[in-house]
Amino acid sequence: MWGRVIEIMTAVWLAASPFIFRASDNSTFVWADSLIALLVCVLAGLSYWQPTRHAHLLILVVGTGLALWGRFAISPPPPIHQNHIVVGLFLLMIALIPNHASLPPQTWQDDVA
Amino acid sequence: MTSELDRNVPPYNHNPSAWSQRIPICVLAFVAAAISAHLSLFQWGFIESAWDPVFGDGSNRVLKSSTAERMFGIIGIHDAALGVLAYLGDAILGFAGSTRRWQYRPWLVILFGIDVIPLGIVSVVLVFCQAVVVGEWCFLCLVSAMISLILVYWAWDEVRASLSYLRLVWKQNSSVGLLWRAFWGYRSEAMERAAETLLSREVR
Repeated sequence: MWGRVIEIMTAVWLAASPFIFRASDNSTFVWADSLIALLVCVLAGLSYWQPTRHAHLLILVVGTGLALWGRFAISPPPPIHQNHIVVGLFLLMIALIPNHASLPPQTWQDDVA
Repeated sequence: MTSELDRNVPPYNHNPSAWSQRIPICVLAFVAAAISAHLSLFQWGFIESAWDPVFGDGSNRVLKSSTAERMFGIIGIHDAALGVLAYLGDAILGFAGSTRRWQYRPWLVILFGIDVIPLGIVSVVLVFCQAVVVGEWCFLCLVSAMISLILVYWAWDEVRASLSYLRLVWKQNSSVGLLWRAFWGYRSEAMERAAETLLSREVR
């Protein structure tokens, strides 16, 4: 489940970003980044539960939205929005990683057990 | 269990998905990501100069050139930051999957190949831009371009194994549906037969 752990760590970074990039006086950034981070944590957390094990794939939608917001909100993007682009693209990569990535998929496990 | 997962894949006399094959790729990709991160710090203005023992101020001029600024205008982030993401992608996609992922998760291997091979091409294009468009050289950019080409060389055998497996699934069954399911790592007798055909080939 290392993919999900990295997603949660990335969400923590996103929540802290307005303070790191000195944009904390803008409440839109603080609220938006906190809520998006919470959403990423919830989706990563739900992936630990068997019935919602594919929830991490919804992070692909969140990552795409975050990257598009960062790119097109203000041009050229200020540092806080550049961070949104980088985090969004990074989430797109990590969200693709399967839950038990180092093991064969369940359907093949009987063969090698 | 270990022997089934670690079988050699002809025409190679090794398993291209083995950890011994993939860990060096991940380590080298992390090194390239660290180099790109250093270059990004300069482009962001966090450090005064990029380290360059060969071309002196050439690196700074390349990284702040009008070509680099134009790329920033298009992408919205600096090209070095994009490099960090691409190399991290190589490392992450290289690390995910079992030691038989060439068969069990072909989508992951092909995605890894797409990330590694175009990255190598982009690196060559960037070196070309330095020489022709900017007229300056950047030592760390050249090092990361070299790493990209090494990664292409190292990653190719695994991508080839996955493509050969998918080709055999197609050749033996001529079914788009079966090929699609094989791509996503589903299991069936036809897929096992294709894998066995591949594994029983003669090693050159």
